[in-house]
Amino acid sequence: MQAIRDLFNSFLLIELLQGLRLTGRHLFTRKYTVEYPEERAPQSPRFRGLHALRRYPNGEERCIACKLCEAVCPALAITIEAEPRADGTRRTTRYDIDLFKCIYCGFCEESCPVDSIVETRIYEYHFERRGENIIHKQELLALGDQYEQQLAKDRAADAPYR
Amino acid sequence: MAVAVEQLAGHIEQALDGRVSESQIHCGELTLVVKPAELMPVMRVLRDNEAFRFDQLIDITGVDYAAYGQDEWITEQASATGFSRGVDGFTTGRLGLTGIYGVHEIKSNTGRRFAAVYHLLSVALNQRVRVRAFCEDDNFPMLDSITSIWSCADWFEREAFDLFGIIFDGHPDLRRILTDYGFVGHPFRKDFPLIGNVEVRYDEDRQRVVYEPVSIAPRVLVPRVIRKDNRYADWVSEENRDDA
Amino acid sequence: MPEISSYTVNFGPQHPAAHGVLRLVLEMDGEVVRRVDPHIGLLHRATEKLAETKPFNQSIGYMDRLDYVSMMCNEHAYVLAIEKLLGLEPPLRAQYIRVLFDELTRILNHLLWLGAHALDVGAMTVFLYCFAKREDLMDCYEAVSGTRMHATYYRPGGVYRDLPMRMPHYQPSPKRSQKDLERLNRARQGSMLDYIEHFAAEFPHCIDEYETLLTDNRIWKQRLVDVAVVDPERALQLGFTGPMLRGSGVEWDLRKKQPYAVYDQLAFDIPVGTNGDCYDRYLVRVEEMRQSVRLITQCVDWLRANPGPVMVADHKVAPPSREEMKDDMESLIHHFKLFTEGYCVPEGEAYAAVEAPKGEFGAYIVSDGANKPYRLKLRAPGFAHLAAMDEMSRGHMLADVVTIIGTLDVVFGEIDR
Repeated sequence: MQAIRDLFNSFLLIELLQGLRLTGRHLFTRKYTVEYPEERAPQSPRFRGLHALRRYPNGEERCIACKLCEAVCPALAITIEAEPRADGTRRTTRYDIDLFKCIYCGFCEESCPVDSIVETRIYEYHFERRGENIIHKQELLALGDQYEQQLAKDRAADAPYR
Repeated sequence: MAVAVEQLAGHIEQALDGRVSESQIHCGELTLVVKPAELMPVMRVLRDNEAFRFDQLIDITGVDYAAYGQDEWITEQASATGFSRGVDGFTTGRLGLTGIYGVHEIKSNTGRRFAAVYHLLSVALNQRVRVRAFCEDDNFPMLDSITSIWSCADWFEREAFDLFGIIFDGHPDLRRILTDYGFVGHPFRKDFPLIGNVEVRYDEDRQRVVYEPVSIAPRVLVPRVIRKDNRYADWVSEENRDDA
Repeated sequence: MPEISSYTVNFGPQHPAAHGVLRLVLEMDGEVVRRVDPHIGLLHRATEKLAETKPFNQSIGYMDRLDYVSMMCNEHAYVLAIEKLLGLEPPLRAQYIRVLFDELTRILNHLLWLGAHALDVGAMTVFLYCFAKREDLMDCYEAVSGTRMHATYYRPGGVYRDLPMRMPHYQPSPKRSQKDLERLNRARQGSMLDYIEHFAAEFPHCIDEYETLLTDNRIWKQRLVDVAVVDPERALQLGFTGPMLRGSGVEWDLRKKQPYAVYDQLAFDIPVGTNGDCYDRYLVRVEEMRQSVRLITQCVDWLRANPGPVMVADHKVAPPSREEMKDDMESLIHHFKLFTEGYCVPEGEAYAAVEAPKGEFGAYIVSDGANKPYRLKLRAPGFAHLAAMDEMSRGHMLADVVTIIGTLDVVFGEIDR
């Protein structure tokens, strides 16, 4: 009996028609596609994208050159040089991140005791010339200034978990 | 589990009496140390004996013990000046720097430098064992190939040969496997620099790929530190008690 | 004229069916394969040697990059090996989270495998459906760790952060009506566990769809049935693990036989094949996805009922919370010590293995008491599987080589390391 049914199914291409029906149904369902760049996939507050250096609300840069991020960086992407300033506080004179080396593990942000180095939500950036992959202190601070609102919001949203 | 491992150790000692030069249990895992000459017969017994039935070879690892226990930071005494705890930074324990970075060359022939570590698994009896064999000659490390016992040893032995230069006698096709065609040296040896010896670049004038000495500078941000920590004292003493 | 009896064909490394950077040197006799010589190592990055120069924690991120379609499973093996050496037991909640994400990862891996395998064999549609579903799982990865693939989420002693109470939403855009946006965000209203539960509820129907397209399909069967048959004895000899071994009819699953984390407290079955051909391995993997859904549902229920810590309180291994670090001097010292020097692992050696989607993924660590591993060896399941490529494809047609690469489920991140 089973053999007859199998033969019948085989001749009538039942399994192929079932497959076709399925793809046909999918043809008329809503599309999954997200139309980048007009719309984007959702991002969580934990997102780890391009780096930025933050400032305190009074405009003073947060980074105190403790070099924890330099030590913890698995890819040795961060280079820091520091000197005491005229007012006696210790600040970085150089803060470079080599974005070709960086693996976006988030350890620098995790280690930073003053929430200075952070990873932003930016994930679309490019370089046109050799050497542009090394991002310097001024650029990092500018990024921090530009996105400060979003950064502060994300840190606050994730604070209960850290 | 712990009982089963001890039982297995007892059985193995009985079945292989004298052939295993050392047997220890650590973290609930049994490790046997065998002499290179005994490797083949011991492996055969481990596979075929009804009490062991290690029907699967999980892994073969080369290990280079040349820099074992070397650190770069004084941890035992506080230094008088408070700083300068750093010790000799040009040991093999650092980055394995040779050549222009002036590492101390490894000269002594201890017969304990290169080892192959075999992990065996018995699917039938659900047990594991680790077998270690040290190569007798550091300058020409050689072991018997066990491809005739487990076929999958083929690639694992090729890998150990490629990365550590351990020769497996009787291997049907001992070629390099992971490194580039025409690679020189054995990269996982402790005296092979982490940054490599040569770098590759496409030369537009000559219209071909050229090899040049490496240009990147070595960089270490976290020194290698060995601490005999009190935190594990309980656990370690428990372990010793078990051994006793 | 002399008759040419055999010739050599170069397959890959730039071949769409080579799953990355596999180079095969095929010795052919007409259409029939006589010998296969896989050349690997084109993606060799010496991860193991790199790990010798970094404190233990810093290598976690590199584990993701080994088998880059089952990221968290690799981390799990590495973290387990460290925990074994330290004698550390992570909190129960962390273990459940790990199981939850291991199983999500298994689905993630099998979806990619199924899609790519079907695409190689000639069924385009399955690939699209699989990838649409993978997106949901990537969102889980992103919500919990901040990245869609390279999570760096597991730590010795637990996991980095607890599961978020809120899933990120789609934002309004000119391309979408308000109603459509609400539809997209419907599953994202609650916590992450709600989202995963929603996924687990609808995913079995998706598996049914894939099966409708493939399981009975005559073309699919013609390409897979009786290709690369491996009998159980040979499978053991060749070092097969995971679905490759189970496809040959050996009932062996580390999750059941040598349970780690909390697998011994969860109910699931091990699917086993009978013939040991590509088709059986396909069926085994599809059934594994269904079992993963079962495990995920159990984990979600437990996690919802049992809040608690996800990291050990031992600040010699795990950093203190940020609030503590900022208020308490001792915590600050711990924080600094941990992120500069790391922790020293007592002398000894340990091997920890997990049932990764591809088979047994193991990490063998030799420690001489330092803050960096003395030697780390990663046992990749794909390495042993690919080694059997020669034996499996002898006597088959050239077109079957593609099927066999597909059934091996090779990823070069882990094979070349």
